[in-house]
Amino acid sequence: MQQRKKVSVASVSKKIIFYLVFVGIWEMFFRLKLWPEYSFPAPLGVAENLVTGFSDSSYFIAVGISLKRILIGYLISLSLGFSLGLLIIRIRFLDETLSPLLLGLQTLPSICWLPLAILWFGIGEDSIIFVVAIGSIFSISMSVVSGVKNVPPIYLRAAKTMGAKGIKAYTTVVLPAALPAIVTGMKQGWSFAWRALMAGELLSPKDGLGYALTIGRDLADMNQVVGVMIMIVIIGLVIDKLIFGKLENAIRHRWGLTRA
Amino acid sequence: MLRVESVNKIFTSYARVTNTLQDINLTVNRGEFVSIVGPSGCGKSTLLNVIAGLEKSTGGRVVKDGQEIIDAGPDRVVMFQDSALFPWLKVIDNVEYGMKIAGITKPKRREIAIKYLKMVHLTQFASSYPHELSGGMRQRVALARALAMDSDILLMDEPFAALDGQTRNILHSELQHIWSETRKTIIFVTHNVEEAVLLADRVIVMTANPGTIKKEFIVEIPRPRKIESLELARVVNQIMSELREEVEKVAKSEFDSDWSPRSSKLLPTPV
Repeated sequence: MQQRKKVSVASVSKKIIFYLVFVGIWEMFFRLKLWPEYSFPAPLGVAENLVTGFSDSSYFIAVGISLKRILIGYLISLSLGFSLGLLIIRIRFLDETLSPLLLGLQTLPSICWLPLAILWFGIGEDSIIFVVAIGSIFSISMSVVSGVKNVPPIYLRAAKTMGAKGIKAYTTVVLPAALPAIVTGMKQGWSFAWRALMAGELLSPKDGLGYALTIGRDLADMNQVVGVMIMIVIIGLVIDKLIFGKLENAIRHRWGLTRA
Repeated sequence: MLRVESVNKIFTSYARVTNTLQDINLTVNRGEFVSIVGPSGCGKSTLLNVIAGLEKSTGGRVVKDGQEIIDAGPDRVVMFQDSALFPWLKVIDNVEYGMKIAGITKPKRREIAIKYLKMVHLTQFASSYPHELSGGMRQRVALARALAMDSDILLMDEPFAALDGQTRNILHSELQHIWSETRKTIIFVTHNVEEAVLLADRVIVMTANPGTIKKEFIVEIPRPRKIESLELARVVNQIMSELREEVEKVAKSEFDSDWSPRSSKLLPTPV
Protein backbone atom coordinates (compact mmCIF):
# COMPACT_ATOMS: atom_id res chain seq x y z
CA MET A 1 0.00 0.00 0.00
CA GLN A 2 0.89 3.62 -0.31
CA GLN A 3 3.63 4.83 1.94
CA ARG A 4 2.30 7.83 3.80
CA LYS A 5 4.64 10.74 3.84
CA LYS A 6 5.45 11.54 7.43
CA VAL A 7 4.42 15.05 8.30
CA SER A 8 7.47 16.37 10.05
CA VAL A 9 7.28 18.94 12.83
CA ALA A 10 9.78 21.04 10.92
CA SER A 11 7.63 21.35 7.81
CA VAL A 12 4.50 22.18 9.79
CA SER A 13 6.22 24.81 11.89
CA LYS A 14 7.75 26.27 8.75
CA LYS A 15 4.27 26.84 7.38
CA ILE A 16 2.95 28.24 10.65
CA ILE A 17 5.84 30.67 10.89
CA PHE A 18 5.32 31.74 7.29
CA TYR A 19 1.69 32.60 7.84
CA LEU A 20 2.39 34.32 11.16
CA VAL A 21 4.94 36.50 9.42
CA PHE A 22 2.50 37.09 6.57
CA VAL A 23 -0.24 38.24 8.95
CA GLY A 24 2.34 40.32 10.82
CA ILE A 25 3.36 42.16 7.66
CA TRP A 26 -0.29 42.64 6.80
CA GLU A 27 -0.92 44.18 10.23
CA MET A 28 2.17 46.33 9.80
CA PHE A 29 0.92 47.75 6.52
CA PHE A 30 -2.39 48.45 8.18
CA ARG A 31 -0.69 50.32 11.04
CA LEU A 32 1.31 52.38 8.58
CA LYS A 33 -2.04 53.84 7.46
CA LEU A 34 -0.98 54.02 3.86
CA TRP A 35 -4.56 53.55 2.77
CA PRO A 36 -7.83 54.52 4.42
CA GLU A 37 -9.37 51.87 6.66
CA TYR A 38 -12.34 51.32 4.36
CA SER A 39 -10.10 50.13 1.56
CA PHE A 40 -7.48 48.19 3.51
CA PRO A 41 -8.65 46.03 6.39
CA ALA A 42 -6.66 44.79 9.35
CA PRO A 43 -6.26 41.07 10.04
CA LEU A 44 -7.79 41.54 13.45
CA GLY A 45 -10.82 43.26 11.98
CA VAL A 46 -11.28 40.47 9.47
CA ALA A 47 -11.03 37.86 12.22
CA GLU A 48 -13.53 39.77 14.29
CA ASN A 49 -15.92 39.94 11.37
CA LEU A 50 -15.65 36.19 10.84
CA VAL A 51 -16.28 35.48 14.51
CA THR A 52 -19.36 37.74 14.62
CA GLY A 53 -20.61 36.36 11.34
CA PHE A 54 -20.42 32.80 12.59
CA SER A 55 -21.66 33.50 16.09
CA ASP A 56 -24.86 35.16 14.84
CA SER A 57 -24.92 32.22 12.39
CA SER A 58 -25.43 34.48 9.36
CA TYR A 59 -22.24 33.06 7.79
CA PHE A 60 -23.37 29.50 8.50
CA ILE A 61 -26.55 30.24 6.63
CA ALA A 62 -24.66 31.86 3.76
CA VAL A 63 -22.27 28.90 3.48
CA GLY A 64 -25.15 26.46 3.73
CA ILE A 65 -27.10 28.18 0.97
CA SER A 66 -24.08 28.34 -1.31
CA LEU A 67 -23.24 24.70 -0.71
CA LYS A 68 -26.82 23.67 -1.36
CA ARG A 69 -26.81 25.54 -4.66
CA ILE A 70 -23.57 24.07 -5.83
CA LEU A 71 -24.65 20.60 -4.79
CA ILE A 72 -27.85 20.82 -6.82
CA GLY A 73 -26.12 22.44 -9.79
CA TYR A 74 -23.25 19.98 -9.69
CA LEU A 75 -25.51 16.95 -9.43
CA ILE A 76 -27.50 18.18 -12.41
CA SER A 77 -24.36 18.69 -14.43
CA LEU A 78 -23.01 15.29 -13.35
CA SER A 79 -26.05 13.45 -14.58
CA LEU A 80 -26.49 15.50 -17.74
CA GLY A 81 -22.75 15.58 -18.43
CA PHE A 82 -22.47 11.83 -18.08
CA SER A 83 -25.45 11.17 -20.31
CA LEU A 84 -24.23 13.65 -22.87
CA GLY A 85 -20.75 12.09 -22.84
CA LEU A 86 -22.09 8.57 -23.27
CA LEU A 87 -24.40 9.73 -26.03
CA ILE A 88 -21.52 11.33 -27.90
CA ILE A 89 -19.51 8.13 -27.61
CA ARG A 90 -22.34 5.99 -28.90
CA ILE A 91 -23.26 8.21 -31.82
CA ARG A 92 -20.37 9.04 -34.11
CA PHE A 93 -22.34 11.79 -35.79
CA LEU A 94 -22.67 13.65 -32.50
CA ASP A 95 -18.98 13.17 -31.82
CA GLU A 96 -18.06 14.76 -35.10
CA THR A 97 -20.48 17.64 -34.79
CA LEU A 98 -21.03 18.31 -31.12
CA SER A 99 -17.59 17.65 -29.64
CA PRO A 100 -15.89 20.72 -31.13
CA LEU A 101 -18.80 22.85 -29.98
CA LEU A 102 -18.56 21.49 -26.44
CA LEU A 103 -14.85 22.14 -26.44
CA GLY A 104 -15.53 25.70 -27.51
CA LEU A 105 -18.25 26.18 -24.91
CA GLN A 106 -15.88 24.90 -22.26
CA THR A 107 -13.70 27.93 -22.87
CA LEU A 108 -16.65 30.27 -22.33
CA PRO A 109 -16.61 31.51 -18.72
CA SER A 110 -19.90 30.22 -17.42
CA ILE A 111 -20.91 33.58 -15.99
CA CYS A 112 -21.38 34.63 -19.62
CA TRP A 113 -24.47 32.43 -19.54
CA LEU A 114 -26.05 34.56 -16.83
CA PRO A 115 -27.77 37.13 -19.06
CA LEU A 116 -29.35 34.31 -20.98
CA ALA A 117 -30.23 32.49 -17.78
CA ILE A 118 -31.90 35.56 -16.37
CA LEU A 119 -33.99 35.92 -19.50
CA TRP A 120 -34.99 32.28 -19.27
CA PHE A 121 -35.42 31.75 -15.56
CA GLY A 122 -35.58 35.26 -14.13
CA ILE A 123 -33.30 36.64 -11.44
CA GLY A 124 -32.99 34.12 -8.67
CA GLU A 125 -32.30 30.58 -7.63
CA ASP A 126 -32.88 28.89 -10.97
CA SER A 127 -30.55 31.05 -12.98
CA ILE A 128 -27.75 30.62 -10.44
CA ILE A 129 -28.15 26.85 -10.50
CA PHE A 130 -28.26 26.96 -14.27
CA VAL A 131 -24.98 28.86 -14.40
CA VAL A 132 -23.39 26.44 -11.93
CA ALA A 133 -24.54 23.41 -13.91
CA ILE A 134 -23.52 24.82 -17.25
CA GLY A 135 -20.12 25.69 -15.79
CA SER A 136 -19.19 22.10 -15.16
CA ILE A 137 -21.28 20.11 -17.60
CA PHE A 138 -18.87 20.45 -20.52
CA SER A 139 -15.74 19.43 -18.72
CA ILE A 140 -17.56 16.43 -17.26
CA SER A 141 -18.93 15.24 -20.57
CA MET A 142 -15.67 15.90 -22.40
CA SER A 143 -13.80 13.90 -19.79
CA VAL A 144 -16.24 11.03 -20.16
CA VAL A 145 -15.73 11.11 -23.92
CA SER A 146 -11.94 11.30 -23.83
CA GLY A 147 -11.69 8.87 -20.92
CA VAL A 148 -13.69 6.24 -22.77
CA LYS A 149 -11.91 6.90 -26.04
CA ASN A 150 -8.52 6.46 -24.42
CA VAL A 151 -9.28 3.12 -22.81
CA PRO A 152 -6.39 0.90 -23.94
CA PRO A 153 -7.81 -1.35 -26.68
CA ILE A 154 -6.06 -4.35 -25.17
CA TYR A 155 -8.47 -4.30 -22.21
CA LEU A 156 -11.38 -4.52 -24.59
CA ARG A 157 -9.75 -7.29 -26.58
CA ALA A 158 -9.07 -9.23 -23.41
CA ALA A 159 -12.63 -8.69 -22.23
CA LYS A 160 -13.97 -9.81 -25.59
CA THR A 161 -12.06 -13.06 -25.57
CA MET A 162 -13.39 -13.67 -22.08
CA GLY A 163 -16.92 -13.29 -23.32
CA ALA A 164 -17.76 -9.74 -22.24
CA LYS A 165 -19.75 -7.84 -24.83
CA GLY A 166 -22.02 -4.85 -25.12
CA ILE A 167 -23.32 -3.38 -21.88
CA LYS A 168 -21.38 -5.88 -19.81
CA ALA A 169 -18.08 -4.92 -21.40
CA TYR A 170 -19.07 -1.30 -20.85
CA THR A 171 -19.81 -1.57 -17.17
CA THR A 172 -17.05 -4.01 -16.28
CA VAL A 173 -14.21 -2.70 -18.44
CA VAL A 174 -14.78 0.56 -20.30
CA LEU A 175 -16.11 2.67 -17.44
CA PRO A 176 -13.68 1.40 -14.79
CA ALA A 177 -10.80 1.90 -17.21
CA ALA A 178 -11.98 5.43 -17.95
CA LEU A 179 -12.66 6.32 -14.32
CA PRO A 180 -9.36 8.09 -13.55
CA ALA A 181 -9.87 10.45 -16.47
CA ILE A 182 -13.51 10.95 -15.56
CA VAL A 183 -12.69 11.81 -11.95
CA THR A 184 -10.15 14.36 -13.16
CA GLY A 185 -12.87 15.90 -15.31
CA MET A 186 -15.27 15.87 -12.36
CA LYS A 187 -12.70 17.70 -10.29
CA GLN A 188 -12.18 20.30 -12.97
CA GLY A 189 -15.94 20.59 -13.39
CA TRP A 190 -16.32 21.16 -9.67
CA SER A 191 -13.88 24.04 -9.66
CA PHE A 192 -15.60 25.62 -12.66
CA ALA A 193 -18.91 25.21 -10.87
CA TRP A 194 -17.57 26.85 -7.72
CA ARG A 195 -16.34 29.86 -9.64
CA ALA A 196 -19.60 30.07 -11.52
CA LEU A 197 -21.56 29.94 -8.29
CA MET A 198 -19.66 32.82 -6.77
CA ALA A 199 -20.02 34.94 -9.87
CA GLY A 200 -23.70 34.09 -10.08
CA GLU A 201 -24.33 34.98 -6.46
CA LEU A 202 -22.48 38.26 -6.88
CA LEU A 203 -24.56 39.34 -9.81
CA SER A 204 -28.00 38.00 -9.12
CA PRO A 205 -28.16 37.84 -5.39
CA LYS A 206 -30.46 37.41 -2.55
CA ASP A 207 -28.35 35.26 -0.27
CA GLY A 208 -25.27 33.04 -0.15
CA LEU A 209 -21.57 33.78 0.06
CA GLY A 210 -21.40 35.83 -3.10
CA TYR A 211 -24.22 37.98 -1.78
CA ALA A 212 -22.33 38.48 1.48
CA LEU A 213 -19.50 39.87 -0.63
CA THR A 214 -21.80 42.32 -2.36
CA ILE A 215 -23.24 43.44 0.95
CA GLY A 216 -19.74 44.00 2.25
CA ARG A 217 -19.02 46.22 -0.71
CA ASP A 218 -22.31 48.13 -0.37
CA LEU A 219 -21.60 48.83 3.29
CA ALA A 220 -17.96 49.61 2.51
CA ASP A 221 -17.13 46.94 5.09
CA MET A 222 -13.74 45.73 3.94
CA ASN A 223 -13.51 43.35 6.87
CA GLN A 224 -16.54 41.48 5.63
CA VAL A 225 -15.32 41.47 2.02
CA VAL A 226 -11.98 39.94 2.92
CA GLY A 227 -13.53 37.63 5.52
CA VAL A 228 -15.94 36.20 2.95
CA MET A 229 -13.13 35.87 0.42
CA ILE A 230 -11.18 33.83 2.94
CA MET A 231 -14.19 31.57 3.50
CA ILE A 232 -14.58 31.07 -0.25
CA VAL A 233 -10.93 30.15 -0.57
CA ILE A 234 -11.05 27.73 2.35
CA ILE A 235 -14.21 25.96 1.18
CA GLY A 236 -12.86 25.72 -2.36
CA LEU A 237 -9.56 24.37 -1.09
CA VAL A 238 -11.13 21.84 1.26
CA ILE A 239 -13.44 20.37 -1.34
CA ASP A 240 -10.84 20.47 -4.11
CA LYS A 241 -7.97 18.98 -2.16
CA LEU A 242 -9.60 16.93 0.55
CA ILE A 243 -12.48 15.44 -1.38
CA PHE A 244 -11.61 15.45 -5.07
CA GLY A 245 -7.86 15.39 -4.62
CA LYS A 246 -8.02 12.43 -2.26
CA LEU A 247 -10.48 10.60 -4.48
CA GLU A 248 -8.38 11.24 -7.56
CA ASN A 249 -5.19 10.09 -5.86
CA ALA A 250 -6.80 6.99 -4.43
CA ILE A 251 -8.13 6.00 -7.83
CA ARG A 252 -4.93 6.78 -9.69
CA HIS A 253 -2.99 4.81 -7.13
CA ARG A 254 -5.26 1.80 -7.25
CA TRP A 255 -5.26 1.88 -11.04
CA GLY A 256 -1.48 1.76 -10.90
CA LEU A 257 -1.08 5.14 -12.58
CA THR A 258 1.24 6.49 -9.90
CA ARG A 259 4.27 4.79 -8.54
CA ALA A 260 4.74 5.30 -4.84
CA MET B 1 -10.59 -29.63 -33.47
CA LEU B 2 -9.76 -26.36 -35.18
CA ARG B 3 -9.34 -25.93 -38.90
CA VAL B 4 -8.04 -22.85 -40.65
CA GLU B 5 -9.22 -23.06 -44.25
CA SER B 6 -7.45 -21.00 -46.92
CA VAL B 7 -7.50 -17.86 -44.85
CA ASN B 8 -6.40 -14.59 -46.45
CA LYS B 9 -5.86 -11.26 -44.88
CA ILE B 10 -5.07 -8.24 -46.98
CA PHE B 11 -4.32 -4.88 -45.43
CA THR B 12 -4.84 -1.98 -47.79
CA SER B 13 -3.30 1.29 -46.85
CA TYR B 14 -2.65 4.44 -48.80
CA ALA B 15 0.90 3.42 -49.59
CA ARG B 16 0.51 -0.23 -50.45
CA VAL B 17 -1.40 -3.46 -50.26
CA THR B 18 0.01 -6.05 -47.87
CA ASN B 19 -0.75 -9.73 -48.10
CA THR B 20 -0.43 -10.35 -44.40
CA LEU B 21 -1.90 -13.82 -44.70
CA GLN B 22 -2.14 -15.77 -47.91
CA ASP B 23 -3.90 -19.07 -48.24
CA ILE B 24 -3.26 -20.34 -44.74
CA ASN B 25 -4.36 -23.90 -44.07
CA LEU B 26 -3.85 -25.40 -40.68
CA THR B 27 -5.42 -28.05 -38.52
CA VAL B 28 -4.98 -28.17 -34.80
CA ASN B 29 -6.12 -31.27 -32.96
CA ARG B 30 -7.61 -31.44 -29.51
CA GLY B 31 -4.96 -31.45 -26.83
CA GLU B 32 -2.24 -30.43 -29.23
CA PHE B 33 0.37 -27.77 -28.52
CA VAL B 34 1.19 -25.93 -31.73
CA SER B 35 3.74 -23.16 -32.02
CA ILE B 36 3.84 -20.67 -34.85
CA VAL B 37 7.18 -19.01 -35.54
CA GLY B 38 8.25 -16.58 -38.20
CA PRO B 39 10.09 -13.34 -38.79
CA SER B 40 8.50 -10.22 -37.43
CA GLY B 41 5.75 -9.00 -39.68
CA CYS B 42 4.96 -12.43 -41.09
CA GLY B 43 1.41 -12.23 -39.85
CA LYS B 44 1.62 -14.84 -37.13
CA SER B 45 -0.11 -12.61 -34.62
CA THR B 46 -2.68 -11.68 -37.23
CA LEU B 47 -3.37 -15.36 -37.77
CA LEU B 48 -3.84 -15.82 -34.05
CA ASN B 49 -6.20 -12.84 -33.94
CA VAL B 50 -8.22 -14.25 -36.80
CA ILE B 51 -8.53 -17.55 -34.93
CA ALA B 52 -9.47 -15.62 -31.79
CA GLY B 53 -12.13 -13.75 -33.72
CA LEU B 54 -10.57 -10.41 -32.84
CA GLU B 55 -9.80 -9.71 -36.49
CA LYS B 56 -11.74 -10.62 -39.58
CA SER B 57 -10.04 -12.43 -42.43
CA THR B 58 -10.54 -11.13 -45.94
CA GLY B 59 -11.00 -14.63 -47.28
CA GLY B 60 -11.35 -18.22 -46.16
CA ARG B 61 -12.68 -19.30 -42.80
CA VAL B 62 -11.81 -20.78 -39.47
CA VAL B 63 -13.89 -23.69 -38.27
CA LYS B 64 -13.93 -24.97 -34.75
CA ASP B 65 -15.76 -28.22 -33.99
CA GLY B 66 -17.79 -27.81 -37.16
CA GLN B 67 -18.75 -24.22 -36.40
CA GLU B 68 -17.42 -21.27 -38.31
CA ILE B 69 -15.79 -18.65 -36.13
CA ILE B 70 -17.27 -15.21 -36.59
CA ASP B 71 -16.52 -13.44 -33.35
CA ALA B 72 -14.35 -13.55 -30.28
CA GLY B 73 -15.56 -15.85 -27.57
CA PRO B 74 -14.66 -17.41 -24.26
CA ASP B 75 -14.06 -20.77 -25.93
CA ARG B 76 -10.85 -19.33 -27.41
CA VAL B 77 -9.30 -17.23 -24.70
CA VAL B 78 -6.22 -15.20 -25.61
CA MET B 79 -3.16 -14.50 -23.54
CA PHE B 80 -1.36 -11.38 -24.74
CA GLN B 81 2.23 -10.23 -24.61
CA ASP B 82 1.09 -7.47 -22.29
CA SER B 83 -0.74 -9.21 -19.47
CA ALA B 84 -3.85 -7.10 -20.12
CA LEU B 85 -4.90 -7.56 -16.51
CA PHE B 86 -7.45 -5.03 -15.36
CA PRO B 87 -5.59 -2.66 -13.03
CA TRP B 88 -8.69 -1.80 -10.98
CA LEU B 89 -9.28 -5.41 -9.99
CA LYS B 90 -7.36 -7.44 -7.44
CA VAL B 91 -5.44 -10.42 -8.74
CA ILE B 92 -8.13 -12.86 -7.63
CA ASP B 93 -10.89 -10.76 -9.19
CA ASN B 94 -8.93 -10.62 -12.41
CA VAL B 95 -8.73 -14.41 -12.47
CA GLU B 96 -12.44 -14.58 -11.73
CA TYR B 97 -13.42 -12.01 -14.35
CA GLY B 98 -14.28 -14.36 -17.21
CA MET B 99 -16.18 -16.71 -14.92
CA LYS B 100 -18.13 -13.77 -13.53
CA ILE B 101 -19.13 -12.79 -17.06
CA ALA B 102 -20.12 -16.41 -17.68
CA GLY B 103 -22.40 -16.19 -14.64
CA ILE B 104 -20.65 -18.70 -12.42
CA THR B 105 -21.56 -18.26 -8.76
CA LYS B 106 -19.18 -16.46 -6.46
CA PRO B 107 -18.09 -19.40 -4.24
CA LYS B 108 -17.60 -21.63 -7.26
CA ARG B 109 -15.51 -19.15 -9.18
CA ARG B 110 -13.45 -18.27 -6.13
CA GLU B 111 -12.65 -21.95 -5.72
CA ILE B 112 -11.59 -22.26 -9.35
CA ALA B 113 -9.59 -19.04 -9.24
CA ILE B 114 -7.67 -20.21 -6.20
CA LYS B 115 -6.98 -23.54 -7.87
CA TYR B 116 -5.36 -21.81 -10.83
CA LEU B 117 -3.57 -19.23 -8.74
CA LYS B 118 -2.08 -22.18 -6.89
CA MET B 119 -1.03 -23.66 -10.21
CA VAL B 120 0.95 -20.51 -11.01
CA HIS B 121 2.13 -20.22 -7.38
CA LEU B 122 0.65 -16.84 -6.64
CA THR B 123 -2.01 -17.48 -3.99
CA GLN B 124 -0.31 -15.14 -1.55
CA PHE B 125 -0.80 -12.26 -4.00
CA ALA B 126 -4.51 -12.92 -4.45
CA SER B 127 -5.52 -9.58 -2.98
CA SER B 128 -2.75 -7.50 -4.54
CA TYR B 129 -3.34 -5.18 -7.44
CA PRO B 130 -1.64 -5.91 -10.77
CA HIS B 131 0.62 -2.85 -10.59
CA GLU B 132 2.12 -4.25 -7.41
CA LEU B 133 3.42 -7.32 -9.25
CA SER B 134 6.46 -7.82 -11.45
CA GLY B 135 6.10 -8.44 -15.17
CA GLY B 136 6.63 -12.17 -14.73
CA MET B 137 4.07 -12.37 -11.96
CA ARG B 138 1.57 -10.49 -14.06
CA GLN B 139 1.98 -12.99 -16.88
CA ARG B 140 1.41 -15.80 -14.40
CA VAL B 141 -1.82 -14.16 -13.32
CA ALA B 142 -2.78 -13.73 -16.97
CA LEU B 143 -2.08 -17.43 -17.48
CA ALA B 144 -4.19 -18.33 -14.46
CA ARG B 145 -6.97 -16.09 -15.75
CA ALA B 146 -6.82 -17.75 -19.17
CA LEU B 147 -6.76 -21.26 -17.69
CA ALA B 148 -9.63 -20.49 -15.33
CA MET B 149 -11.82 -19.82 -18.36
CA ASP B 150 -11.53 -23.50 -19.17
CA SER B 151 -11.69 -22.65 -22.85
CA ASP B 152 -11.42 -25.24 -25.59
CA ILE B 153 -8.37 -23.53 -27.01
CA LEU B 154 -5.80 -21.30 -25.41
CA LEU B 155 -4.26 -18.77 -27.77
CA MET B 156 -0.96 -17.32 -26.65
CA ASP B 157 0.46 -14.29 -28.44
CA GLU B 158 4.16 -14.04 -27.53
CA PRO B 159 3.23 -14.23 -23.87
CA PHE B 160 6.79 -14.30 -22.59
CA ALA B 161 8.44 -11.97 -25.11
CA ALA B 162 8.58 -9.01 -22.75
CA LEU B 163 10.12 -10.93 -19.85
CA ASP B 164 13.74 -11.27 -18.88
CA GLY B 165 15.57 -14.51 -19.65
CA GLN B 166 15.47 -16.10 -16.22
CA THR B 167 11.82 -15.38 -15.65
CA ARG B 168 11.06 -16.72 -19.09
CA ASN B 169 12.92 -19.97 -18.38
CA ILE B 170 10.97 -20.53 -15.21
CA LEU B 171 7.69 -19.84 -16.96
CA HIS B 172 8.65 -22.21 -19.76
CA SER B 173 9.10 -25.12 -17.42
CA GLU B 174 5.91 -24.20 -15.60
CA LEU B 175 3.92 -23.97 -18.79
CA GLN B 176 5.24 -27.41 -19.80
CA HIS B 177 4.17 -28.72 -16.46
CA ILE B 178 0.75 -27.07 -16.60
CA TRP B 179 0.20 -28.29 -20.11
CA SER B 180 0.99 -31.88 -19.24
CA GLU B 181 -1.47 -31.55 -16.36
CA THR B 182 -4.30 -29.90 -18.24
CA ARG B 183 -3.65 -31.08 -21.83
CA LYS B 184 -5.13 -27.90 -23.17
CA THR B 185 -5.15 -27.22 -26.86
CA ILE B 186 -2.67 -24.39 -27.22
CA ILE B 187 -1.65 -22.26 -30.16
CA PHE B 188 1.47 -20.39 -29.20
CA VAL B 189 2.85 -17.58 -31.34
CA THR B 190 6.46 -16.59 -30.82
CA HIS B 191 9.54 -15.40 -32.67
CA ASN B 192 11.73 -17.40 -30.31
CA VAL B 193 12.47 -20.72 -32.01
CA GLU B 194 13.91 -22.38 -28.92
CA GLU B 195 10.79 -21.54 -27.00
CA ALA B 196 8.64 -22.94 -29.78
CA VAL B 197 10.54 -26.23 -29.93
CA LEU B 198 10.70 -26.55 -26.18
CA LEU B 199 6.97 -26.29 -25.73
CA ALA B 200 5.23 -27.55 -28.85
CA ASP B 201 4.25 -30.82 -30.44
CA ARG B 202 4.39 -29.12 -33.77
CA VAL B 203 6.15 -25.99 -34.98
CA ILE B 204 4.73 -24.07 -37.93
CA VAL B 205 7.20 -21.86 -39.76
CA MET B 206 5.70 -18.87 -41.51
CA THR B 207 7.15 -16.66 -44.21
CA ALA B 208 6.62 -12.97 -44.56
CA ASN B 209 5.04 -10.94 -47.31
CA PRO B 210 3.03 -12.76 -48.39
CA GLY B 211 2.45 -14.47 -45.06
CA THR B 212 2.20 -18.14 -45.79
CA ILE B 213 3.04 -21.37 -44.01
CA LYS B 214 6.44 -22.46 -45.21
CA LYS B 215 7.03 -25.66 -43.35
CA GLU B 216 5.90 -27.75 -40.44
CA PHE B 217 8.13 -29.54 -37.98
CA ILE B 218 6.91 -32.27 -35.70
CA VAL B 219 8.84 -32.22 -32.45
CA GLU B 220 9.13 -35.71 -31.09
CA ILE B 221 11.37 -35.05 -28.16
CA PRO B 222 9.96 -36.66 -25.01
CA ARG B 223 8.79 -34.38 -22.22
CA PRO B 224 9.81 -32.81 -19.91
CA ARG B 225 12.18 -31.09 -22.27
CA LYS B 226 15.27 -29.18 -21.38
CA ILE B 227 16.29 -26.08 -23.30
CA GLU B 228 19.95 -27.18 -23.23
CA SER B 229 19.34 -30.69 -24.61
CA LEU B 230 21.17 -31.59 -27.82
CA GLU B 231 18.10 -33.08 -29.44
CA LEU B 232 16.31 -29.83 -28.97
CA ALA B 233 19.24 -27.86 -30.35
CA ARG B 234 19.21 -30.02 -33.46
CA VAL B 235 15.56 -29.28 -34.19
CA VAL B 236 16.08 -25.62 -33.39
CA ASN B 237 18.92 -25.53 -35.90
CA GLN B 238 16.81 -27.07 -38.61
CA ILE B 239 14.10 -24.51 -38.08
CA MET B 240 16.59 -21.69 -37.82
CA SER B 241 18.11 -22.44 -41.19
CA GLU B 242 14.62 -22.42 -42.60
CA LEU B 243 13.89 -19.14 -40.92
CA ARG B 244 17.17 -17.42 -41.67
CA GLU B 245 16.25 -17.09 -45.30
CA GLU B 246 12.99 -15.49 -44.27
CA VAL B 247 14.54 -13.10 -41.82
CA GLU B 248 17.00 -12.02 -44.48
CA LYS B 249 14.22 -11.51 -46.93
CA VAL B 250 12.40 -9.24 -44.51
CA ALA B 251 15.58 -7.40 -43.65
CA LYS B 252 16.35 -6.82 -47.31
CA SER B 253 12.96 -5.35 -47.90
CA GLU B 254 13.23 -3.08 -44.88
CA PHE B 255 16.85 -1.95 -44.89
CA ASP B 256 18.73 0.18 -47.40
CA SER B 257 19.82 -1.51 -50.61
CA ASP B 258 23.50 -1.67 -49.54
CA TRP B 259 22.62 -4.13 -46.78
CA SER B 260 23.54 -7.77 -47.24
CA PRO B 261 23.47 -10.71 -44.85
CA ARG B 262 27.22 -11.22 -45.37
CA SER B 263 28.12 -7.74 -44.20
CA SER B 264 25.78 -7.87 -41.28
CA LYS B 265 26.68 -8.99 -37.82
CA LEU B 266 23.07 -8.98 -36.80
CA LEU B 267 22.30 -12.46 -38.02
CA PRO B 268 23.97 -15.66 -36.88
CA THR B 269 25.98 -17.39 -39.60
CA PRO B 270 25.05 -20.98 -40.41
CA VAL B 271 26.74 -23.55 -38.18
